[in-house]
Amino acid sequence: MPVLIDARDLTKKYGTHVALDHANFAVQTGRIVGLIGPNGAGKTSALRAILGLTSYEGRLRVLGREPFSDRAALMKDACFIADVAVLPAWLRVDQAIDFVAGVHPRFRRDRALALLAKSQITGKRRMRELSKGMKTQVHLALTMAIDAKLLVLDEPTLGLDILARRSFYDALVNDYMDETRTILITTHQVEEVENLLTDVIFIDKGRIVLDSSIEDIATRYAAVAVTDDNVAAARAEKPFYQRRTLGKTLLYFERPDFDRLSGLGEVLTPSVSDLFVAKLSHGAA
Amino acid sequence: MNTYSWLVRREFWENRAIWIVPIVIGAALTLAALFGRADIAAVSSPAQNRVLGGTVLFAFGVTFFVVMSIYSSWYLLDCLYADRKDRSVLFWKSLPISDTATVLAKLFTGLIAIPLVYFIAADVSTLLIAFIISVRARSTIGNSLWQPDVWLQLQALWLYLIVTSAIWYLPFAGWLLAVSAWAKRAVILWSILPPLALYLLERWFFGTHVVGTALGDRTLGYIPRAFHAMSDQRAWVTTVIDNDAITAPASVWSLLNPLGFVSSPATWIGVIVGSAFIAGAIQFRLRHAEL
Repeated sequence: MPVLIDARDLTKKYGTHVALDHANFAVQTGRIVGLIGPNGAGKTSALRAILGLTSYEGRLRVLGREPFSDRAALMKDACFIADVAVLPAWLRVDQAIDFVAGVHPRFRRDRALALLAKSQITGKRRMRELSKGMKTQVHLALTMAIDAKLLVLDEPTLGLDILARRSFYDALVNDYMDETRTILITTHQVEEVENLLTDVIFIDKGRIVLDSSIEDIATRYAAVAVTDDNVAAARAEKPFYQRRTLGKTLLYFERPDFDRLSGLGEVLTPSVSDLFVAKLSHGAA
Repeated sequence: MNTYSWLVRREFWENRAIWIVPIVIGAALTLAALFGRADIAAVSSPAQNRVLGGTVLFAFGVTFFVVMSIYSSWYLLDCLYADRKDRSVLFWKSLPISDTATVLAKLFTGLIAIPLVYFIAADVSTLLIAFIISVRARSTIGNSLWQPDVWLQLQALWLYLIVTSAIWYLPFAGWLLAVSAWAKRAVILWSILPPLALYLLERWFFGTHVVGTALGDRTLGYIPRAFHAMSDQRAWVTTVIDNDAITAPASVWSLLNPLGFVSSPATWIGVIVGSAFIAGAIQFRLRHAEL
């Protein structure tokens, strides 16, 4: 499978603050990858670098291009919605469609119109007249109408209500996604996206702490729910994280010995959100 | 090229004042011609008619040009800053448009497109006004404003003015764009303070006036370089009418000094300095996406 994004020792410093610290990761074609991390972990810096919005140290290739020096060309094949990217207040919906159709060779006007037809947003409305959720819908319609190889979404459903969120993710998976496309998505709402991701990258303090496909998580990680009697024995297996739930203790293991764990209690495959908490709760083991 | 036309169109969408202001000025002048006093002192001789007609048309044009210069300066200072202020810059950057194209489209809008809009508005309204005045005051001024040859000559004058002033004032335009792409706030202050500080520091520490002279010459040096001086016998004629000496251009063509303008080193120094500022603006746009 061709590598779409390849980052080696990707580093970004702001003065003395190191936002990205020799991060290594790769994203392959046809995947839906979640870039997940707490606030200030370096998610945004990584996205900015990938999208050519910021300079960086280290090696980074996106669709074979160096993003910062080649952003305009890269944007023919990649598109993004950043959480802070805002459609300007003065822009009318029809102007937005005309403009993107005018400058983007891969924009499909009919698709954008079909996406907007589902909402009650008319062409003559200006962005300043639309609610936050409607603006997001316009932005999503513009972006999803582009036949891009890479779609980057930074907190895409911020400000959308639960119905709009659900229909957005449904459209993303059912209408938009196919084997030629790749989606990189960041969110702090892990629960919302974990069912659609094929891969996850956890980032913390500028470093990559996990880069795995969802299938591999089941073989690489395990959580065991043990009763108090077995806690000591389970701890001997060197869990990297543990927490108490309803009279039992959940212990998390990396590269576990499944046979020995199953003797201690019920072995579970941790969900992405559980794994996220386990991986990023420092020193809790 | 298609991308550039969309980029310029977008500037017109965003800055509706580009066409609203000249339309308002044109409408105001037309209303003044319709309802204002039109009984200007009667003139008789054809020479006087020519001078009067030319002067009135020219004065209208100058009104538009002065307002345009102020608006255009403000536009150049605001345009890149506005994208960051309303945080739409990341939306624009999500499209396959280079920062160079964005900055150059805004430069083109400020120096060529906006002046052209004012030029068209000035044309339409002066034609209307000439018509109105010649009907309302046909017993006095009559058709003195209704002079196709003068009007055509003025067209050449405006086009020459737009092109040469765009070249001459390139350093100012580039500076305003660079400030617009760089400043985190207070763009007006940032556009004025650094040159002012340079001027004052130079005076205090060296007692010289290099910066002041350069800025002064750039501001006021355009007309002497692009046009023939009043003392130039070929360009200006003086006629005495009723004991009053009236100096008027021999013709518009005789006023224009394109050779002098192109051969002046200051013109090309300005182009170089202006280009450097524009390159700076592109770099800032590339690197400082957010406030």
